Amino acid sequence: MMSPAGMTKRAAPVLACIGLLVVWQVASLALKNDSFPTAMGAITAIPDILGDKESLVNILASLRRMAMGFGAAVLVSIPLGLLMGRSAAIAAFFNPLLMVIYPVPKAALMPIIMLWLGVGDIAKTLVIFLGVSLPVIYHSFEGAKAVEEKMLWSGAAMGLLPVQRLVRIVLPAALPEILTGCRTGLVLALITMITSEMIARQSGAGNILFNALDMGQYDTVFAMIIIVGAMGICLDAIFERVRARLVRWSEPQFDMPLSFS
Amino acid sequence: MKARQNGRGSNDAPHGCENESLSGRLLARLVPLNLRASGTEDGMTVVSARSSEWVRPVTQQDPASAIIEIDRVSQVFQTSARKDHVALSDISLRIEERAFVSILGPSGCGKSTLLYIVGGFVSPTSGAAKVKGQAIKGPGPDRGPVFQEFALFPWKTVLGNVMYGPRQQGIRAAEAEAQSRALIDMVGLKGYENFYPKELSGGMKQRVALARTLAYHPEVLLMDEPFGALDAHTRTRLQNDLLNIWERDRKTVLFVTHSVDEAVFLSDKVVMMSKSPGRIRQVIDIDLPRPRRRNELLLDPRYQKYVVDIERMFDESDEGGVPA
Repeated sequence: MMSPAGMTKRAAPVLACIGLLVVWQVASLALKNDSFPTAMGAITAIPDILGDKESLVNILASLRRMAMGFGAAVLVSIPLGLLMGRSAAIAAFFNPLLMVIYPVPKAALMPIIMLWLGVGDIAKTLVIFLGVSLPVIYHSFEGAKAVEEKMLWSGAAMGLLPVQRLVRIVLPAALPEILTGCRTGLVLALITMITSEMIARQSGAGNILFNALDMGQYDTVFAMIIIVGAMGICLDAIFERVRARLVRWSEPQFDMPLSFS
Repeated sequence: MKARQNGRGSNDAPHGCENESLSGRLLARLVPLNLRASGTEDGMTVVSARSSEWVRPVTQQDPASAIIEIDRVSQVFQTSARKDHVALSDISLRIEERAFVSILGPSGCGKSTLLYIVGGFVSPTSGAAKVKGQAIKGPGPDRGPVFQEFALFPWKTVLGNVMYGPRQQGIRAAEAEAQSRALIDMVGLKGYENFYPKELSGGMKQRVALARTLAYHPEVLLMDEPFGALDAHTRTRLQNDLLNIWERDRKTVLFVTHSVDEAVFLSDKVVMMSKSPGRIRQVIDIDLPRPRRRNELLLDPRYQKYVVDIERMFDESDEGGVPA
């Protein structure tokens, strides 16, 4: 049994999606523009893409690069961010470097990286790595900086050495903040994945999208946009589940009511 | 009231036996001398009249039974390029084994800093602190802190927090768990073993923090205004419980507080501090019978006199003011 308010809450996202598709369909029919296919046209193109073996290989290759870039970035950025948060000297050294890299769109580095490393997996993975690193470093840094000194003292009194304190106190204490950074990083990984493939056209989901655009297959273009968007939603939802499990201890006991009712 | 001026240079106190290279024969001759020295009032070390009760059979390690020795410790913080803030100035203090000693003073008198120096969390600008005759170089499991901020590990349950120290010391999980459950029971939190700190009230958190520290058997408890963040009712209950626990298993306790009542109620000895710069004004022996019961003690004129006298002394000082 669910209350009417609860049912509305559950149905709201579905209704929003249906509403968007209806508006799209009506607008497309009204405009009668070749480069703006109907919602129905785009959706019916999705099975064609996912049924095509070559497209599927391309999409999976994209996801593999994304996973590698994201994984490597997380493995490097978390320790670096934590060290920066606990050592003023390390922070003073890396901060200016990061401030320079931060505002540069990572995709803008793609042409140079392609010159050095070619158009293959390594160049694209590196761009994803760069895109993911900064938010993860930043949040790890902030999380580590906020760890209560007395908590570290308590650990030190129990005999934990500095490295143990970093791994066994700073890391778990900063985990909620770190995972917030990782969540941002995950979305950025998807974005940089597509943009890198847009610049280095060779394979991948971005390549399918832009090839279709070149050939005027607009329903395929929009179908790919839907697929990429759906991948983003799924990855984010999976990550959010994992995150919520890992930091259950830090969540507020009762959810804040989001509505004004 | 036996209030004595705490003179400078209490390192004049007997410390012949700090030299570990002394032969056993020489020690044997020195030990009785030291005992006599600490028993008599040499005007330098302040020894409670009842301290003889706590002097255990003298061992070679602690002939004077002073577990903590603070020798002319000063702490200067650089607040700006030109100005230094002298938090502690020339502090000398000896703390007897198994004594409950409070450090009482207004905020900003450096009383917590003194505790952190004993804990090894802060290094003094000058002077030296020793525990069991060894210079303090850093934190160690022989000195267990309990902070006003609780400083529990929020990702661990109550049981996980209490087990942390024993596990770190290599005690097997099953054994550590059994010990920890007993401690949780002792601090009155049976049934809360699997709760996370966020689910507990302030008073419960401080009980967990106390159990977590007791779990690794420190010889000295360092309590930094542990009940300062609690409401009056919870505070009273925790004071009572702390006394009960302490009277069962007397550890050396160094207890920082700004509450006169609390200091007199709990302590064998109250170290009164004044601020800017932080100095020891006076060391007062609290000669009240144990076990102490709150309802009896509050009616006891001797208790009331201690409280009033200490408050008056803070009033008279133009620098300290009444500690809140």
